Amino acid sequence: MTDSTHIALSLSGISMRFKDETDHSKFALRDISLSISKGSFVSIAGPSGAGKSTLMRAILGLIPIDRGDIVRNFEHAAMVFQNYALFPWLTALENAAFGLHMEGVPRAKRNQIALEKLHEVGLMGLEHHYPAALSGGQRQRVGLARALAINPDFLILDEPFSNLDTITAENLKKDLLMIWEKYGMTILMVNHLIPDAVELSDTVIVMSAHPGQVKKVLPIALPRPRDARQGQFFKVVDELTEVIRSVS
Amino acid sequence: MSVILFATGALLALGYFTGVDWHVLGEALLRTTYRLVLAYALALFIGTFIALVVGWSPFSDALFPVFDILQNIPSFALIPIFIYFFGFTDEMIILFAVSSIIWPILFAILTAIKSAHSDMNDAATIFGAQGLRRMIYYLAPLSFPAILTGSIVGVAIGWESVIGAEIIASTSGFGAFIKEAGASGINSATIAGILAVLILVFVINRLIWAPLLSESARRYAE
Repeated sequence: MTDSTHIALSLSGISMRFKDETDHSKFALRDISLSISKGSFVSIAGPSGAGKSTLMRAILGLIPIDRGDIVRNFEHAAMVFQNYALFPWLTALENAAFGLHMEGVPRAKRNQIALEKLHEVGLMGLEHHYPAALSGGQRQRVGLARALAINPDFLILDEPFSNLDTITAENLKKDLLMIWEKYGMTILMVNHLIPDAVELSDTVIVMSAHPGQVKKVLPIALPRPRDARQGQFFKVVDELTEVIRSVS
Repeated sequence: MSVILFATGALLALGYFTGVDWHVLGEALLRTTYRLVLAYALALFIGTFIALVVGWSPFSDALFPVFDILQNIPSFALIPIFIYFFGFTDEMIILFAVSSIIWPILFAILTAIKSAHSDMNDAATIFGAQGLRRMIYYLAPLSFPAILTGSIVGVAIGWESVIGAEIIASTSGFGAFIKEAGASGINSATIAGILAVLILVFVINRLIWAPLLSESARRYAE
């Protein structure tokens, strides 16, 4: 773990404070230290109020931290949002091409890449639709294509399945695993669904709430591809559930 | 609308408007419309530019109350200042109208930027819409529905300001026409003028704002 070339992200002693209703300063995140190795799939689980989304935004540098160090050993970070966060005035194709557009990639080139990514995430023939005309699952695929288009080596997924129905979520999970295997980027996923975390992750980080703290880092040793109907799988799910319950 | 058209038609048929000089009325309306269009174009450009720059800057929250106070100054209280600098000219009327049209546009945009979903702001940042590109490719398109609704309110206020200034300046345009015609109370000329303005406003609504609103609703639906 000391070999820094294999570490994609390392946090040491991250703390963030906020003011509550009575103007008292409270910890949103307290003394968070963790490291994530390159190319791994890491999930963060924990009750609401654990500051999981806040932590993601701090990692991306979107919000300042009060204390601690963040070492980012990656070039391009991308993010997929729970509520998709697509730009409603752009078509699916233009949304997917947005990052490339900002990088100054010429239109023909960026549209070609965006179209490839849309096809890769299973969206065909819908590239000229606006987000409003797409279902939740389709929107999340556009969000994923937008992230993939900038060729990220670090991908953050903030509860990507929680607004989707079960079947849509299952399909998207399969595609996500395929994409991860193909590109080998580091993935950090916030997810409160324990079976999802066990099915996808190399490591699950369990956080507790008020204040948000890392309570346990649990490696998932199950071989891949994982079968979510095996006894071994359920054993790990139960174990993780127990850990989360004990910190809630 | 059909009521207005019917009333106009009926009055026309009854010969109520025989004494009205349509040529003078038409010219007056044209002049007023020309001033309004120019004032609106200027207000749209300046208002959008200021709002985008302020909304993009980190000082938006600090400047919001300042704009709020400025907005609350009754615009007609400022008309002596405009007359002092520009006299009874086209420039005076147009710039005075700009000073009233600009506020609803500016506030609509500032509010839209302020209330944009934080996830969408984050997405714009993560995918590289930073610096000047943030203004052009994120804040400007984000503000389109607000620019539209701000414009509709602004133009409504603009009619008032232009006609009001014309009544005060009393040189030309619809305000001057109606002031002259109405000096001796309600008559066929004032009625004809009012109906003509109503029809004009309705046509502008139908031909310009309504299609833009439906386009905005289609593209910006959540």
